[in-house]
Parts: sequence; structure tokens; C-alpha cells
Amino acid sequence: MTERRFEGIGATPTVGIGTASWYRPTDVTDLGEPPQPETVDPATERDRFDASQADAEAELEAERERTRERVGDDEAAVFNAHLQFLTDPQIESGVQDAIDGGLPAPHAVKRAFEGPIEQFEAMDGMMAERADDLRDIRDRLLRLLTDTERTDLGELPEGSVVLAELLTPSDTAQFDPGAIAGVGTIKGGRTAHAAIIARSLGIPAVVGIGEALTEIDDGDQLVVDGEAGAIIADPSDDTRTRAAESTQTPVISEAVSTADGTEIEVAANLGTPAEAEPAVNRGADGVGLFRTEFLFQDRSSAPDENEQYEAYHEVCEAFAEDVAGGKPRIVVRTLDVGGDKPIDYLNLDPEENGFLGARGIRLSLGEHAEIFETQLRALLRVAATDAGVGLAVMFPLVSTVEELEAAIEHVEKVADNLEEEGLNYAIPELGVMVETPASTYLADAFAERVDFLSIGTNDLTQYVQAAARDLDRMSDYQDPLAPGVLRAVDRTVTAGHAGGAWVGMCGEMAGDPDLTELLVGLGLDELSMSAVTVPDVKTAISEVDTEAADELAASVLAADTLAEVRDLV
Amino acid sequence: MERTLTVVPDDGLHARPAATFVETAGSFDAEITVGAVDGNRPAVSADSMLGVTGLGVRGGDDVRLVAEGPDAEAALDALEAILSTPEEDLDDMELP
Repeated sequence: MTERRFEGIGATPTVGIGTASWYRPTDVTDLGEPPQPETVDPATERDRFDASQADAEAELEAERERTRERVGDDEAAVFNAHLQFLTDPQIESGVQDAIDGGLPAPHAVKRAFEGPIEQFEAMDGMMAERADDLRDIRDRLLRLLTDTERTDLGELPEGSVVLAELLTPSDTAQFDPGAIAGVGTIKGGRTAHAAIIARSLGIPAVVGIGEALTEIDDGDQLVVDGEAGAIIADPSDDTRTRAAESTQTPVISEAVSTADGTEIEVAANLGTPAEAEPAVNRGADGVGLFRTEFLFQDRSSAPDENEQYEAYHEVCEAFAEDVAGGKPRIVVRTLDVGGDKPIDYLNLDPEENGFLGARGIRLSLGEHAEIFETQLRALLRVAATDAGVGLAVMFPLVSTVEELEAAIEHVEKVADNLEEEGLNYAIPELGVMVETPASTYLADAFAERVDFLSIGTNDLTQYVQAAARDLDRMSDYQDPLAPGVLRAVDRTVTAGHAGGAWVGMCGEMAGDPDLTELLVGLGLDELSMSAVTVPDVKTAISEVDTEAADELAASVLAADTLAEVRDLV
Repeated sequence: MERTLTVVPDDGLHARPAATFVETAGSFDAEITVGAVDGNRPAVSADSMLGVTGLGVRGGDDVRLVAEGPDAEAALDALEAILSTPEEDLDDMELP
């Protein structure tokens, strides 16, 4: 089957896939000929009108509250306008006049609204939309007066794409965003209520498609592209795949704060400079972990200073150009080899340099000091460039204060050398990657000596739980939600803050949006993750209430078993 | 008693500002009318949503408010405040 494309006005920047479901409310304005005037009792008809008005008022108030809770005050305000139109003196006197003229209540309501609707229709732009408001109020009254059953939009099966001539505020107030995959209307513009509500609820919507939309039948498969402004019926596999990709969480390019205003930095973990651009495109604020091993792997000798300089500078530039303020933080981790990351020319021994052997900073301070200093030279030079102002350097697997002090001495020595050589350099922010139990106990001592700590939960879990990451049989222990690991994280954050450092997290855990609230509650200032999860985590952060997050963290930290923790998060 | 002023909300007397305006006008013991200074539509009762939105007043337009009754001055003060407040700040306003 070939695709059919229906162009309209995109009302949301999102895309949805679902099944067509036409919404055709009963036409309550078809009242037929009025009875003979002498058979109509004006007092009875006035009572009927008053009753319908009171019922309509109650419905509107309920819908206003529902919309206020789900969407917000702004969108709920339209119901205030409806309530006022409903009890407008001009409408009321119009109804009364018509009843006095011998019309029953429904006909009287229809007539009383005619003039005002025409008046608004004749006006331009947004004023014309008030005519839709008046029709909505009129039809509500007529539905109540004629005891017509309301078509229930709240009970649609999941994955429905609602198609309608027009959706009124009362229709959209019934929307269940979990069930509705999209919206398409024949009439309406970007500022129509349905468009605004769909936008607020994150429902993909295309409005103003025109009569062509009626060619779509109930049950047709649809892609609703709210960004391009088109509905595609019977989408090809290709269209469907592309749509499925873009149904992911929208990218947030700006820095995000919790619902109550605490800013949390969301950064990306990178393995190569080529990953920088995609990370910027996914909305990363910066880089929380730039692994430098890629520069050293798959070659016969270590890269020289200039090659490293170019690579680090490239990442800084990718972010500096695109991120507002121009000072994104780029945390570069110095060479972290050993353990599971062998490199031929470094002559690492699997035993000697295993998980509990000479790896990370231990090698940099020992037999690989020369490689370490070359790397530091490149980093200090990049830090002096325009793009490099946000550069930060992080040391892996530090487990003693002596190691940290030795690493800082290397930085100072490199700086002195660059000074003597007359080369531009700057000392970047320095930090420790917290991965060992010892480092969690020493977090306060580290924090007094560096600018930041970043918790590497993958290795921290391995070492706290004493379960090698490469042993499948140990996988039950490899859970960062294990109470022992969480308490180590908590200790690190608290001690780090007490020592005046900011504390981030760059393990897998940081990229799980289901854990974002907990991590905010634990007090982390920055979360760094693979770029693909940045949008989800940014969205999750914007929904966090810090007080609730603090309470969650407190109850999670009080839990003694992994099962209890899992129940809480 | 009357007052002429310029409407600040961008969308003018339409939707939310209009609803707030009409609600406020109705809460005072005063007969209040509102009309566009440059317009051919007659002034309308300030407590009629239909009348007020029907004026088609936009942000930047001048309107004339006329009030009679015990609360006339207080009513004019309150309505002037609404028309002088950008729509996005309307929530923070203390209304009578």
C-alpha cells in the first residue's frame, strides 16, 4: 500500500504512531422545527434553561480543575472565559426573549448564540476563535437540554490517533495523554485550544488539515508528525522507523533545573572526539567523562603531545561553539589503562595490572609517568585556549591522598616547564574519579585538594561489592543500587560537599532516568552519561521536586536490602 | 467617573485578560462600561464577556472606562491594574 500524506499545521514538536479513531460528537444543533408557540410554557422552558446552565457550570468547573491539575493555570483559564460566556447577560436576555417569543429552551439557546457567533466569525485572527468557544458552550447547553449522551474521549484504547473536525476545550479536557498517540483536525490553527492543550500534554498534533482528512478511515495506521505538520496514512516501513526514532524524548539544549529550581548539569560520556557533535545535538551541557584511551589503543606507540592537543581541543570546540555561555565543562580523564583495557606497547601484565593491580593513576605515577606528563602538557595548553576555558582534568582510580598529591605535583611540574618554555598554558579544574572504597572514605580529604569529585559507579560497585565486573556469575552483586554502594555514594557526596568540591557521577547509573530523582536527592551536582540518554535524564530532572527527592534518598539510604531499595525507586 | 488608558496585554481584551477583567468588573457595586477609543463599536457593559471580547481590543489600543456607583473609583483602579499588567504577570496579581 502506498503512503498517503495529509498536510496541515504542526502544533507540537513531537511525532506519534497510532491507529485512526474518528471523534464525531452527535450534532446537537439539529433540533428540528419548533413546536407551536401556544404549546410552549415559558416558565417551564426558563426552568429548563436555568437547570442546563447550572449543569454546564458544574461541568466547566470540573474541567477547569482537571485541566489546571494536568496542564496548568494558563490553559485552565479558557474555562473561566467559558463560564463567563455561559452566564453572560446578553446571552441570558437573548434566551429569555426567545422563550417569551414561544420557543422551547433548546431552540431559544440556539437562537441566542446565533448573533454573537456570527459577530466573532466576522472578526479576524484570534478573535474568530472565540466563535469556536461560543459554539462549544452552545453545544454543551444543547447536549444537556436534549439529554444527549456525551462521546467519551477519555476511554479510547491506547495508541489512538484522534481525528476530528475540531476539538473543543471540553473535548481536550477529557484527553488521556497515556492513551492518545496523536491528534489531527480538519479545522483549527496553532493557537486553537486543542493545539495548545496537545502541546502541553506532549501529544503530537497536526491541525487545520482540511476536508482531505476525511479520506482516513477508522483503524488506518497513522504517523502524526507534529513537527513537519503532516499525517501519513499507511506509512511505509521506512517512515515508520523514522517516526519511531523521533518519538524519543525531545532534546533540551538549555541547562535544566528541577521543578523547584536547582540546576543540575547533564553531561555526556565520550570515547572519541567524533562523539562530541552527536552529544551536543542530544543536548548535553558538557562532557563529564572524556575517556582518553582511544588515543592510545590500536597503535604501536603512544601519541605525541600535539596529537593529543588536537584531540582535546576538538572536543572543547565542538561544545564551545554550540552551548550557550560558551563555557561548557569538559572533564578529561587521564589515561586509565590496566584491568580490562590492555594496550600492547605499554606491556601490561594481566595479573600485575588486573582490577586489583597497577592500573589507572597507579601506572601514571609509576612506570608511565612520562606518558602522563605528555598528556598533562597537552591538557594544560588546551586549557589556555578560548575553547578550553571549561576544561577539567580528572585522575582515575585514586585511592590515597599521597597519590592525589603526587598527581598534583606532576601538574605543577608540567606548568613550570611550560612557563620556562614560554608556551601558553592554564591550570584547569582538577578532580578525582571516585571508584574505590578508600576514595569514598577519603572524599573530604580529596575535596580539600581538588575542585571536584566524580563517582564512577561501575568500578565503585565492583570494588565495594568485591565482585569482578567481567565475571558473569557475579552479576547479582553488580548492582549500583546495592545498599552498600548507595551508602558509599552518599558518603562521597556529603564529604565532597563538606570539603568544598562539586560532586558528579559518570557511571551507567547516572544515565538511568528512573534513578534521576534518587540521584538528585543524594545531592549530585552533575550527571554524566552516554549521550543517547541525555534528553530522558534532562526531562526527568525538570520534573523532580527536590524535597520529595531528598525524602526518597533518605528512605533509600535507610533500606538494608537491595529488594527494599528496588521497591522504593 | 471615567478613565482612558492603554491596554498592555499583547492579546488585548481577549481570552484570559478579558475573563479576569469581566470577573473583576462584576465584583464591584458599580455600573461600568468599556469602549474602544478608536472604534466604531458602542461601549459595552464591563461585566459582559461577550460584549468585552466583542470589542476586539488589542494590546496597545486605548480604551475608555466609565463607572457610576458607590464602588466606582475602586472598580476603576482594579480594572486599570488588570489592563496595565502583561498577561504573563496576571497570576501574581492580587485581585479583589
